[in-house]
Amino acid sequence: MIEAYQRVMNVESPPAPKTPKGFFTDTSLCIGCKACEVACKQWNQLPADGYRLSGDSYDNTGRFSATTWRHVEFVEQAKANSRRDGQRWLMMSDVCKHCANAACLEACPTGSLIRTEYGTVYVQQDICNGCGFCVPACPFGVIDRAPKHGTFEPGTAHKCTLCYDRLRDDMTPACAKACPTASIQFGDVEELQARARRRLGELRTRGESRAQLYGMPENEEAREVGPLHAFFLLLDKPAVYNLPEVPRLPRKSMAQRYAWSGAVAIGAAVLSALVFGRRG
Amino acid sequence: MAEANLSPSPSGGYYNYPVIRRPVWTWEIPVYFWLGGIAGGAYLTSSAAGLFGDDDDRRATGGGFYIAAGALLPCAPLLIADLGRPDRFHFMLRIFKPLSPMNLGAWTLAGFTPMAVARAMAQAGGEARLPMLLSLLSRLVPSRLLELSGSVFGLVLAGYTGVLLGATNVPLWAKSKLLPGLFTASAVSAGAAAVSWSAERSASDRTLAKLATVETAGTLGELGLAFGYIRQSGRAARPLMARPYALPFWGGAVGLGGIVPLVLRLAARGGSNRTKRRLGTVAAACTIIGSLALRWSIFEAGKKSSEDQQASMEMATPKE
Ligand code: SF4
Ligand code: SF4
Repeated sequence: MIEAYQRVMNVESPPAPKTPKGFFTDTSLCIGCKACEVACKQWNQLPADGYRLSGDSYDNTGRFSATTWRHVEFVEQAKANSRRDGQRWLMMSDVCKHCANAACLEACPTGSLIRTEYGTVYVQQDICNGCGFCVPACPFGVIDRAPKHGTFEPGTAHKCTLCYDRLRDDMTPACAKACPTASIQFGDVEELQARARRRLGELRTRGESRAQLYGMPENEEAREVGPLHAFFLLLDKPAVYNLPEVPRLPRKSMAQRYAWSGAVAIGAAVLSALVFGRRG
Repeated sequence: MAEANLSPSPSGGYYNYPVIRRPVWTWEIPVYFWLGGIAGGAYLTSSAAGLFGDDDDRRATGGGFYIAAGALLPCAPLLIADLGRPDRFHFMLRIFKPLSPMNLGAWTLAGFTPMAVARAMAQAGGEARLPMLLSLLSRLVPSRLLELSGSVFGLVLAGYTGVLLGATNVPLWAKSKLLPGLFTASAVSAGAAAVSWSAERSASDRTLAKLATVETAGTLGELGLAFGYIRQSGRAARPLMARPYALPFWGGAVGLGGIVPLVLRLAARGGSNRTKRRLGTVAAACTIIGSLALRWSIFEAGKKSSEDQQASMEMATPKE
């Protein structure tokens, strides 16, 4: 009986965990070439998104989608003063953070979204039924559902897999492999974190006073979603890159929400019992 | 400081690009929320009348069980139609994961639907509306037990929808924690309204007055929670203050669904029994329509609020 259920529902037991893998994206090295975006699309066979021009910057990608798993941002900081100082051009290749407490994974009702043996967050394409709950759950706007009537994997959710297929063959994810400046670095999360701390120290001594890491275990942004397996070195405040200061994990406030609905429900049950039970 | 000028967006963010992705759900979802709420509320009302009321109450409110079953039947098809892969609907019950409100809701719906259908069968059997064989079967239904357990399931079904919307990062759905309470209160008033609408011809004046009390209490709770919800939401509630959602929310949910029924019942107090019945039915219809307007406007306006970069950023700012 249980076996028949598991067969119908496609239930398997997970493989044994391995060393957690992740990305350290050092935006101070990014030159905005978008090689990562292209490599990602090529390896994962993701279709192009059309020729929309944003008119805001060289960022014509604009956002993540079911077919865009890397997104290069261009922040043009211009300050009108005679000396023209303070002008900066910040670039950053954004990606799924593979959160330690992933909102998408917690939301998923089918168990399609799983934590892999590499500690990454992965959508099992043969399980996802396209309920769409993960889409507004992600605090970073990463995961998206492919259009139901499109040509690319219609109706299921998609995002960066950290090249799960390549990891299984001991290969580096496509974006990190393609990055010409080593802005995207792939490796064991712990080692990458040590590397990131060293790099931050270097940049600070060189006078980059606003440089900071985003997604480290000790940081404010890890308060709810936990350390990010794909974390960043930023040259300005997170908001400048559209990254939330303290990304919310919906689970944290769920008990209070249930309490409200429970309180009203109990009130309604007691009240209707009293109203109908009144005699005379 | 000049720091603000360094950013390409007035809010200090990245241009005006949204922080989160827009929900992909369509109209099936608010309609389901509405039907599920009515089913839960009607089932609770009829159960309370059956368990605690007198014979008059019990006889007149039996229609609530038909309403609950009838409202539940389209629910699963609506949810399935909204899926990206409707052919995989059964994966909703692949695991038991109450941490995901959507999984919890799927199990609740899967449990409540057969309960409500069985209870409706028992009702039909008791009213001698079933053919011989079914009527014998319907006697086996443990009605009292189903009334108790079904009421619990019905109330969960009415309220988890608000938890589900709140378990996202959409500012309008998640900023205030009152939404589940609001949805529950509205389900109670709409469910009781549906029962009193169905009982309008057969019920005694006393039973109708009891139903009206439950409706009024639900509506008062709903109005109070709605104002609290708007206040707490702050900037996140902006889409509800402007076209096109201000009219369905303020006019439909708050006005037609809340204030109009209260005023009608107040106005009916002095009148004859006939006027009372008439106005009571109109009030019930308004409540039911209002509860759809409430869910639809909050649902659709939430999509708009998902594009509000500043509201997203404010929600993700640590509180001192
Ligand atoms: S960034 Fe979003 S999609 Fe990626 S793991 Fe975290 S919650 Fe999931
Ligand atoms: S859309 Fe797919 S991956 Fe996302 S929550 Fe639903 S079942 Fe899970």
